[in-house]
Amino acid sequence: MAVPEKHRHRWLVRYRHEVALGVGYLLLLVWLAVWRPAFFQPAQLQAVLVSAAPMLVVCVGMTLVILARQIDIAVGSLFSVCGVAVGLLARGGWPMPLAGLAAVGLGTAVGAFQGWLVAYVGLPAIVVTLAMMVILREGLRWWRQGEFVRDLPTDFQWFGFSQEQGQLALVAIALGCFVLVACGLRWLAAGRAVYATGGDPHAAFLAGMRPRRVTLAVFSLLGGLTGLAAVLHTVRFAMVDPAAGQGLELQAIAAVVLGGVAISGGRGTLVGPLLGVFLLATLKPALVFLGAAAHWDKALQGAIILAAVAASRLQTSHAAAATPARGRQP
Amino acid sequence: MTVPTRPQPASRRTSPLTQEYVLLGVIAAEIAFFAVVGENFFTAANAFEIIRLGTEVGLLALALTPVIIAGGIDLSVGSLMGLSAVVLGLLWRDGRWPLPLAALATLGLGWLAGWCNGWLVTRLKLPPLIVTLGTFSLFRGLAEGLTGGVETFTAFPASFLFLGQGYLPGGIPAQFPLLVLAAAGVAWMLHRAPLGQELIAIGLAPEGARFAGIDVAGRLRWVYTLCGLSASIAALVYVAHLGQAKADAGTGYELMAITAVVLGGTSITGGQGSAGGTLLGLAAIATVQNGLRLAAWPAELAGILIGGVLLVTMTLSRLRLQLGGRSLAAEGGGALARELWHVSNGQVAALCGTILLAALLVALSQQRLARELARGPAPAVGNLAQGGASADGLKSGAPSAAALGARVAAGSRPLVVAMMPKSKGNAYFIACRRGAEEAAAELGIELIWDGPTETDPAKQNEIVEAWITRGVDVIAVAVENRQGLSSVLRKARQRGIRVLTWDADAEADARDFLVNQATPEGIGTSLMDQAARVLGGAGEFAIITASLTAANQIEWQKHIEARRAARYPQIRLATVRPCDDLQGRAFEEATTILRAYPQVKLIMAICSPAVPGAAEAVKQARRDDVKVIGLGLPNDNKPYVHAGITDCVILWNTMDLGYLTVWAARNLCAGTLRPGVTEMPAGRLGRVAVAQDQVLLGQPLVFTRENIDQYDF
Repeated sequence: MAVPEKHRHRWLVRYRHEVALGVGYLLLLVWLAVWRPAFFQPAQLQAVLVSAAPMLVVCVGMTLVILARQIDIAVGSLFSVCGVAVGLLARGGWPMPLAGLAAVGLGTAVGAFQGWLVAYVGLPAIVVTLAMMVILREGLRWWRQGEFVRDLPTDFQWFGFSQEQGQLALVAIALGCFVLVACGLRWLAAGRAVYATGGDPHAAFLAGMRPRRVTLAVFSLLGGLTGLAAVLHTVRFAMVDPAAGQGLELQAIAAVVLGGVAISGGRGTLVGPLLGVFLLATLKPALVFLGAAAHWDKALQGAIILAAVAASRLQTSHAAAATPARGRQP
Repeated sequence: MTVPTRPQPASRRTSPLTQEYVLLGVIAAEIAFFAVVGENFFTAANAFEIIRLGTEVGLLALALTPVIIAGGIDLSVGSLMGLSAVVLGLLWRDGRWPLPLAALATLGLGWLAGWCNGWLVTRLKLPPLIVTLGTFSLFRGLAEGLTGGVETFTAFPASFLFLGQGYLPGGIPAQFPLLVLAAAGVAWMLHRAPLGQELIAIGLAPEGARFAGIDVAGRLRWVYTLCGLSASIAALVYVAHLGQAKADAGTGYELMAITAVVLGGTSITGGQGSAGGTLLGLAAIATVQNGLRLAAWPAELAGILIGGVLLVTMTLSRLRLQLGGRSLAAEGGGALARELWHVSNGQVAALCGTILLAALLVALSQQRLARELARGPAPAVGNLAQGGASADGLKSGAPSAAALGARVAAGSRPLVVAMMPKSKGNAYFIACRRGAEEAAAELGIELIWDGPTETDPAKQNEIVEAWITRGVDVIAVAVENRQGLSSVLRKARQRGIRVLTWDADAEADARDFLVNQATPEGIGTSLMDQAARVLGGAGEFAIITASLTAANQIEWQKHIEARRAARYPQIRLATVRPCDDLQGRAFEEATTILRAYPQVKLIMAICSPAVPGAAEAVKQARRDDVKVIGLGLPNDNKPYVHAGITDCVILWNTMDLGYLTVWAARNLCAGTLRPGVTEMPAGRLGRVAVAQDQVLLGQPLVFTRENIDQYDF
């Protein structure tokens, strides 16, 4: 199938950020292949995949929220709460699928509450989620005092499957979420409504959409996905760490932004965050393989985020030089 | 970033006073409440303490206010504090610069870093959230990289420390004028200078502001630069306050500062806000934190309350705004003013009511205090009255042992022992607490258990200060940063409070006794000996630590390395990786280590969540040839020890440590623990040895497959 030259070019322009990130990721992999071929043993790649799976699920939800011109910095705390909840329920004799569903439900409920405050009360998302972040984190600490949830039933780890099956299930669920949401975002009316709301809520309203409902929906979805991610994360271990979500919110936002989703809403795809998640998930073990001193990890991560965002900006201004500039500065 | 569902230009126009009134009410309620439940809360000294501890965050919050009004945000201020502190230390100690010059250079660095943020935002037109998220990692990373995360700069001259620890005449803390100056400067800039109006215009509509002839980029660069400068000033105060400069300075301060700004009524989307509101927001937060400590309530409540207050005040002012908007739509522009005035009236009434209620409660509490005074002398008074009279040969300045001893014997009023772990929410310290509560119940002691809930090294100082204000009998601290805390502990001793350290020591003259569970050297040595036993005298191992900046971890690593170099030159340390005290991160680090260093045959995890994390990694990688050892609680590790993955776990009996500390506190007051004794009674532990100024718990335990089931903590 011969794609006309013009069309291929347009595809490149539309997804230039994703392509650029993909090329960057590829370069990192090539560099690793040359200097540390040991990185490419199947077991290591599998470990990267499995450890990135929960993060990917959170980032799918975070992308939706950011596309709708909102933000959620409570995901880390919610992640911890849902993880502890599923552990306690499983220990209390609930069957694993039910306990997992309950954790997803809890996440959805918290997300919906936040969405309601943002959409119907009209509070800024960053304030609502800042408050929820502190409330959930301190509440959990007060309740559990930081104690691990131990003595879990045998069907807790990997849902009772063997390790290989469990890992496969984990990656499959995460990728399943990703594909479903990505397709929905591209081809469903609901998905386009998210873009419309993020682009200009007033225009979306005039076009017959309901921006408030969209906002409520994306927050609920992110809450639910955070609950799911917490389940996927905790079943990898034999006990639940109540601090598991510490710092997750910034990592998730960083991955999404690295993936070229505009923080001002309405622009971006899910492929970018996918690459962002895998780039960050690869970078950490890659640094260990390269023998870099751990002190410089954070500086490097910050520099990469800045460089990627700045590069995409420069690129955009080149591409947009011909077209009229966007009015609104985020 | 809100969804303007009903876009009305007028809905933006709201009196900035609204939220401030709500906040005033909240603060009045807080003060009234804590005046009743907290001890020594309603005093001038405590008010100054609150100001002193709020200065650093206050400086950040004040500088953030113009940034947020202009529609921006700066997440990097806390990290910049860390970088500034490290640069100050490097220039002064290693560069041999005179301290004033080094401080000036630090301010220059803050200026430059802030300017960089501004440049990235304005020149590259990047969203400020993204830019400062990047520099948030970058600045902290640079600080850690420059010092290896390890180095701590101490021994600053007293004239510099005065800035953070000293008092001006009248009990005014030395940093108070600085905060006043900053507040006045920002208030003038926002409310008197044209810049304030310009920033509001930029926050509402940057394009519009540009068309109105405002130099948007220049103004934005200026406010970000100011933010950076303010962060470096805060860093100087912080270093002087703690007496140490380290890469972890100011961790988490950005969120506290933003919370204060938003709570103060500044719109996070820009275009509205005031310096006064920020100060009120700060006061509301600081009062809750301080009050909860003086009331000896759990510190976690502070976070929940602050979050709740944030949501409630925002909702209230939002509802009010919607009311105003609706009336505007119905009756036209003139009604807006009426509506505002009307609501304000209601609020004034509510405010008056709250203040009256507060006054009533304060009066009640004073009456209670008076009754208490009449019943028996309060501890401070007792010390003053009897301290001079006692002639039992103790150092002057220490409280009368006779007085306390009499109280112990008579049991008239229970001893108040305040005990602090390094951090709350850590399983290790939960076990300590169980032991401490057991001893407190046996002895009829009132035990206050509180500690930092976040990884901020300044938090321990705040809590000790609160306890000094509250007036407890004994303070027992597991010291996180030796230099920083010692000055506060000395102050506690001057005020007649007995000071113990446990788990980790302060400087020797800052405490009466150390309850010593094991020396860092003992831990490092036995860890290394066990490692050598498992490895058979030769091979490679890797270490997983909590963080690169944690003082105890650094100390243990030093002794592990010393032992290795001295006794086991055949063994090699492959790598050291941090895990942020998280099981999941430890798992991932261990997994990577197993693949990147296949020759590593032993993983040594020296923080408690890392041991099960590393063991799980070995299990999932199916590496039977690799063993895990570490410092951890038996309960966390039983499955792995029984499965043969974890060879052994080393720890002292943590429950006994808490138990012994409370007994030592009681003995210190009863006079059975004093310089010169060689043993003391300790309940179910029998008689415990005392060597010079240390109470000894005994040898660390090695939990192996044979004995681990005998312990439950």
